[in-house]
Amino acid sequence: MTGPEKGLRIEARGLIKHYPGVLALNKADLTVEAGSIHGLLGKNGAGKSTIIKVLAGVIQPDGGEIKIDGEPTEIHSPHAAGELGFAFAHQELTDVPNLTVGENVLLGLGYPTTGGAFVRKRALRRKAAEVLDRLEAGIDPGAPLASLSIAQRRMVVIARGLAADARLFVLDEPTASLTDSEIDHLDRTLKSLRDQGVAILYVSHRLDEIFAMTDQVTVMLDGAAVHHGKTADLDKAKLIELITGSVIAVEKRIPHTTPAAAPNLMEVKGMTIPGIVNNVSFELKEGEMLGLAGLVGAGRTELMRAIFGADRAASGEVLMRGKKMRIRSPREGLKAGIVLLPEDRKNQGGVLDFSVRKNMTLPSLSKFRVVGPAPFPSERREKKAAKDLVGRLSIKVANVEHPTRYLSGGNQQKVVLAKWLDSGADVFIFDEPTQGIDVEGKEEVYQLMTALADQGKGVIFVSSEFNELTGTCSRILVMREGELVGQFEGVDISEGELVDACYSHEAEPLAAS
Amino acid sequence: MADDLTGSGQGEATTKAAPGTTAEESSGGGRNFSLAMIAGKYGLLIFFGAVLIAFSLLRPNTFPTGENAEAILTLAAPSLIMAVGLTVVLVMQDFDLSFGAMIGLAGGAVTTFIVTNHMGWALAIVLVLLMGAAAGLANGFMVSYLGGNSFIITLAMGTVLTGVEFALTHQATIYSGFPATFLKIGQGTFLGLNNQIWIAFVAAVLMWALLDRTELGRYMYAIGGNQEAARLSGIRVKAFRVIGFIIVGVAAAAVGILLIALSSSYSPNGGATYLLPAFAAVFLGAAVFRPGEFNVPGTVVGVLFLGVIQTGLVMLNFETYVINLVQGGILIAAVLVSRLGAKVA
Repeated sequence: MTGPEKGLRIEARGLIKHYPGVLALNKADLTVEAGSIHGLLGKNGAGKSTIIKVLAGVIQPDGGEIKIDGEPTEIHSPHAAGELGFAFAHQELTDVPNLTVGENVLLGLGYPTTGGAFVRKRALRRKAAEVLDRLEAGIDPGAPLASLSIAQRRMVVIARGLAADARLFVLDEPTASLTDSEIDHLDRTLKSLRDQGVAILYVSHRLDEIFAMTDQVTVMLDGAAVHHGKTADLDKAKLIELITGSVIAVEKRIPHTTPAAAPNLMEVKGMTIPGIVNNVSFELKEGEMLGLAGLVGAGRTELMRAIFGADRAASGEVLMRGKKMRIRSPREGLKAGIVLLPEDRKNQGGVLDFSVRKNMTLPSLSKFRVVGPAPFPSERREKKAAKDLVGRLSIKVANVEHPTRYLSGGNQQKVVLAKWLDSGADVFIFDEPTQGIDVEGKEEVYQLMTALADQGKGVIFVSSEFNELTGTCSRILVMREGELVGQFEGVDISEGELVDACYSHEAEPLAAS
Repeated sequence: MADDLTGSGQGEATTKAAPGTTAEESSGGGRNFSLAMIAGKYGLLIFFGAVLIAFSLLRPNTFPTGENAEAILTLAAPSLIMAVGLTVVLVMQDFDLSFGAMIGLAGGAVTTFIVTNHMGWALAIVLVLLMGAAAGLANGFMVSYLGGNSFIITLAMGTVLTGVEFALTHQATIYSGFPATFLKIGQGTFLGLNNQIWIAFVAAVLMWALLDRTELGRYMYAIGGNQEAARLSGIRVKAFRVIGFIIVGVAAAAVGILLIALSSSYSPNGGATYLLPAFAAVFLGAAVFRPGEFNVPGTVVGVLFLGVIQTGLVMLNFETYVINLVQGGILIAAVLVSRLGAKVA
């Protein structure tokens, strides 16, 4: 395996890209060099993904040029991007779960064969292992990819780039749904790649990571690069100002507090899903915002889905205001007064091809009938309610008839929330609601959750970003390996305490195979 | 992967559109947008119009006549009933390949009940419609509740239904013994039009109302769009998928009965020829009005279009193989155009 070539320099100058009705790139500039980790920041909709798609050859710019080592270059197709040595790790995993790790690492690079047809499995495994060893990933190349954690799968994607001798790595929100130790490992990996002379373009909404990992940053706003410079020359306040285009005071958030006398709203007793969740019990008070921290794979999502009825638990019960509920399906969960905003927004949250209006009214369609009990929804009444919700949640969409697919992540999340807002539910479970959402959008989501708690609803906030839990919740539960292992109370819970609770002494999440 | 990327990119773009887009930009992009949109939405309709004009010019004395129009509509009526029923399952992303056999079974059953068993024709019709519902229920239960793949389950069910048909009729061809009142259903007229046209019209209006005007229809589209999101929204996904199969079963039974009443005769396995044209019409229909989405108005256009092409080509004395080539080619083109339209929209 030859090392990457030295001195790659990619310069994009004055890129312009029109989408119907919008200027996605407005003379955007970006320079990425070998041996540097380059952070790309900006709000959702600032043009980050568009510029990455140009580099990936997925779309062609309407204007501007790209120079690679001084040569004007057009990247016609994803294949051409591959030939240039560009590798992309997208936010959504783009690997093949039913193949093995090794088959994924070498996917498209030519497997070692006998007679050009029969794959030599052992040679393939050895070749993949060489690459994986460079990442110190400790992943067995023969393991089925589906058996890996999300963090390990990201490592496999990176290994694929390494195997292709990539000169430029573009990572789009690579740490979404990774935990701190996994992020540490990724950090070390990227820095070692950088030191080997690879150029790295790193897109993230997490400012702490930008400061910890990147050498340089480019900030985009409304399709143009508004700042380019060394990361070390910036501080958090300045960066936020650049991202939002205005001065926003960076205040320490004050967590929501629950009145001490608040009655119990929901009790979960002995929830068990064999091998995933083990005998979990907790209670939620009226008007409480309860945090649930843990590593990916700790069983948080599974626990929440079982409470809501999306999956069946082997045993355990849910009591609402002291009354035992029968919850065997989401329908019964909703009837019991529980709603779940799932982690996987794209695949579970909403019907993306539906208009904003249709998504918002989906669970409560029978409230919008034209007359009496006839099951004919009145489009006019639906529209009125949808417009009202768009206003209340300040969702950025020109028309409620637009397909939800075309909204940004933050606005999609708000649409998913909007459909439950007036449902009369008592318990709102938010599973990673701020994943892939920009700074302003996150703040809005926190405010919406807090407002629900202020109305006396019970809110459960599941997150892998512990600072957002400590900033919003005054009681936080920690799950590890399917069990509740800690509970923290007060307005000044520290992230460190949560992190400690998440790891048992022998835990080594990335080394598992 | 490429699709995925494009999707999220447009997401970015739209967010930005809301606050500050200049008039220049939006009109520039807008023009391309609307042209492509028109091509995607109405391309098939325009083509349909052109075909009508072409046939009318080539056969001015026989094609553009009221008589011919009624003939085409009568020919298309059973297909239309089948196709609008099929639209419902396809909306939910399920497949039903058994309805061709169900049409045959319904014909065989109604013939046996009336001719062999001397049953009253009204009772026979009710029983056969119930058989259709039962077959649909069985399909739906196995697919939705037991998790069978709808493609394979309904394919196998088709074989079973044909078996039942042959058991009832012993594969005999029957062309006498039908009471006149029964035959009137297929051959009589109402307000100057063949009864079948009216029945097909009512079926189309009912299915349109179901899918586009009722809560159930909205839920069905939600199931097709994202089954898991629909389930988490509290929608009875399994039950509604079963309802879809029942609708197809009943539609097939109705078509089977009508075909017997129309031809006053039964021949074994007569439904198979209706299977693929119904799919063709529904997929053609997804190329009009709402590109990329199955919809009843589109299905109606699809059925009429196929009917016109068929009749027109026959009038022009083309040989069967030419008709096959043209019909197949048009279907391929329409499906590809609808893909394009869906991407643009």
